[in-house]
Amino acid sequence: MTGGLASLFGWAFLVPLLPALAFIVIGLFGTRLRRLEYGGWIAVGAAAVSMVLALLIALGEMASPDTYTSLSYTWFSLPANPTFPYGFSLVIGTLVDPISSLMLIVVTVVGFLVLLYSIGYMHHEHGLARYYAELSLFLTAMIGLVLSNNLLEFFLFWELVGVCSYFLIGFFYEKPSAASAAKEAFLITRIGDVLFLLGIFIFFYVYASAGPAGLHWASSGFLFAYGNLPFLAGSLGANTPLLTIAGLCILAGAAGKSAQFPLHVWLPDAMEGPTTVSALIHAATMVAAGVYLLAMTSIFLGFTPTDQLAIVAIGGFTTLFAATMAVVHTDIKRVIAYSTISQLGYMVLAVGAGFAMVGLYHLFTHAFFKALLFLAAGSVIHAIGTQDLFKMGGLKRHLRVTGAAFAIGGLALAGIPPFAGFWSKDDILSSVYSVAGSHPDYWPFLIMAMAAVFLTGYYIFRVWFLTFSGDRIRDPTLPTPHEGPWVMQVPLIVLSGFAVGAGLLIFLPGFANLFLLPGGVAALGIPPTYGTTDLLLSVLGVALGGGGILTAWALWGNGRMVELPEGSLWSSGRKVLLNRYYFKVAYDAVGAKAVYSVARAADFFDQFVIDGTVRGIEQLFSRISDRMRRIQSGVVSDYAAYVVAGLLAVFVLLLLVGPYLVNWVGGG
Amino acid sequence: MSLTELAFFALAIVAIATGLLALLVRELVHTILWIGIFFVDLAAIYFLLEAPFLGVLQLGVYAGAVTILLLFGIMVTRKRIFSRDAATGVGALPIALAVVTFIFLIGALGQLPGSAVPAASYSVASLSTLLFNTEAPYLLLLGLVMLAALAGAIYLVREGRE
Amino acid sequence: MTTLPVGDFLALASGLVAISIFGILTRRNFILLLIALEIGMNAAILSFVYFAAFPQCVTAATCHPLTGQAIAVVVIGLAATEVAVGLAIVLALHRIRGTTNVAEADSLKL
Repeated sequence: MTGGLASLFGWAFLVPLLPALAFIVIGLFGTRLRRLEYGGWIAVGAAAVSMVLALLIALGEMASPDTYTSLSYTWFSLPANPTFPYGFSLVIGTLVDPISSLMLIVVTVVGFLVLLYSIGYMHHEHGLARYYAELSLFLTAMIGLVLSNNLLEFFLFWELVGVCSYFLIGFFYEKPSAASAAKEAFLITRIGDVLFLLGIFIFFYVYASAGPAGLHWASSGFLFAYGNLPFLAGSLGANTPLLTIAGLCILAGAAGKSAQFPLHVWLPDAMEGPTTVSALIHAATMVAAGVYLLAMTSIFLGFTPTDQLAIVAIGGFTTLFAATMAVVHTDIKRVIAYSTISQLGYMVLAVGAGFAMVGLYHLFTHAFFKALLFLAAGSVIHAIGTQDLFKMGGLKRHLRVTGAAFAIGGLALAGIPPFAGFWSKDDILSSVYSVAGSHPDYWPFLIMAMAAVFLTGYYIFRVWFLTFSGDRIRDPTLPTPHEGPWVMQVPLIVLSGFAVGAGLLIFLPGFANLFLLPGGVAALGIPPTYGTTDLLLSVLGVALGGGGILTAWALWGNGRMVELPEGSLWSSGRKVLLNRYYFKVAYDAVGAKAVYSVARAADFFDQFVIDGTVRGIEQLFSRISDRMRRIQSGVVSDYAAYVVAGLLAVFVLLLLVGPYLVNWVGGG
Repeated sequence: MSLTELAFFALAIVAIATGLLALLVRELVHTILWIGIFFVDLAAIYFLLEAPFLGVLQLGVYAGAVTILLLFGIMVTRKRIFSRDAATGVGALPIALAVVTFIFLIGALGQLPGSAVPAASYSVASLSTLLFNTEAPYLLLLGLVMLAALAGAIYLVREGRE
Repeated sequence: MTTLPVGDFLALASGLVAISIFGILTRRNFILLLIALEIGMNAAILSFVYFAAFPQCVTAATCHPLTGQAIAVVVIGLAATEVAVGLAIVLALHRIRGTTNVAEADSLKL
């Protein structure tokens, strides 16, 4: 079994290729494929085959974790030159290693389930061919991203997923809010992407010209190579400030993609897209790409201590910051979106503290239970057609599967054992705690993360109680709900299984191999390494999460509603949170001021300088030709005059130049 | 001043005067008269330059054929032979161009040294020997040009075109 | 045999060219135009004849004193041809447009 599966690694490029083919077929012929749900079933089929292939590859990695293959194609290369003494090359290839196969599982499984769910959920929408084509393209890009074997290829796919995200957020492009949300997401992640690219340039600058032994990184094409990791370890010193800046740039790119503070504003607005898109792109996969980037960077390039503190700070602060906003919002999808930001904060925190694989572990479990939550929310929206929590209630009698699935997802999110979230979140907290002793700077952010655990339990069960508990629907005008078709229920059930068991998978023989850094270094602490303090920490975490759930029950359970007294501190606090700490307002104001003044200047430049030049040239020639036209009078005498004048001109020219010409010819 | 020079002067003045008159008189038929005199005058200059064959040619072709041809052209394009041409203004530009050309030619070619010594009389036979031996290709070419011109002229004046 | 100074001759030839140019540029009657052209042509022929008799040419081994006259013969032929074609054009113009004024024949179409 081992050797057979490992031989699949060379075929890993097929995994992204199948959705790519689906994209092409659906993109070209989708509108004619009514029978196949406008190509939906093609997308599902391609994703299913991809998933099987990915699972086989992952099994191969579990069996023999050290093997990885890298199929490289050199796109072009520059020979060594004075600027870059080791030359420079761009390569395209696949890297199959434990980390990428872990990501492959996440992307293909969630991708397949979401596509299957879409068949039912999206059935009544228009433009389905576009939807499935774009979703297939997204899968291609995301799989390509996790299989990239070098940073530039990674960046290529990184941008491609961003574009797909833009397309899919703006799926309902007739809706102005959706169109503007798509633009917002694109522009804000663009800020991060530009900095990310700048970071690549700095790494390039440092490593392209830096000395011997393992530093030919740029010349070999920015490869994620295990031979001499991390590069940074050997090249600190004079380059430390530059590399710190490069690391911060990478962090900015990751923060843009993973919606970390202060680039978090786009993700809640991205909920304008279809719920399925939110589940796949804005919960499970694309937003996790930022965390994945940080993990890859920390493994293959390394961060300086300053960078690490910055990452910890951003991640830790974001957990609490986003959780507070999730507490008050009444849109079911937005609450889950804030929860996503908060959970991504945990992952960033772990990676920053130096536990890349722990962060990826949480990424793994989170992808399933968050996709589950979104799909369950989608099921609710599908059933009653609103996203407003205060209009719902009492749905558990009508939507039994959905209610149970949401509850399982909520428990996993709140970190209640044995659900998936507990294992990974607890692992993060104990890991960070283990280094907090030597890094006192981490303490505040660890405490923030702990506090966020409480809020997590509270806000997600506030949603559950508001939606499912009670004995009636609050808004009587809503239709009588009913469960969706089987294609919607199957993904819910499967994902529920993952939400229960994804954390327990670590006990599966060989599964822990996926969390090995090559060389056999175990980067995952639990479950084997429980000490006394770790146990206490776990108990504390569970207690906080459970306390949150209980609080939610006390306030909202059984259809209860909480009315905050007008004018009180609570009420004004709620207003601040509902306005998302006024970040969006501030960004809009700053954007309006700065961007519009730049735009006005550019407009002025465009209208008067560029257009002026263009128009000037046009008018110049128009006038010249207008004058020239009059020369063509058609009267023979006029032409004769020109001939004579020209003849004279030639004479004069010969007189003036003639002597030199003779000299020149004679001299030659 | 030699007799030859005196004769040249006289002939030159007549040539300039008749040339100008030919272009300036209002009556077209008078123009023909003046241009005829102009051609004859030039023929005289050729004789003076010891080129009698050319002089005869000038008399025959220009003073004879061309003048009659021009007169013929006037006759067929006018209802009444004696009719005045519409007055045409004399612009500054044509005069300026003419004057500049004049000055320029004088100035540019005036640098040439020496003066012409009309050769002793020669036999027409030697000229024709030259024409039909060394220069024969040009003569042939001229013949072709004339043929083409003849065909073109016939095409242009042919009836029934419209 | 006496000599003819080059300056005197040039005064005549240049004057004829100037008259010719003046005529071409100012006259509107096609026949007058032809006549002005002929004046210019005659100036050219005159130059050939005159410079054939130039001492530099008479004495040089490579230059036949009659070459200029031979060329002049050819040019006279050409000039006569030109007048013939020109008159044909005048007749055609007269028939189509009813005029011999070149200022009125200012378009390529009929």
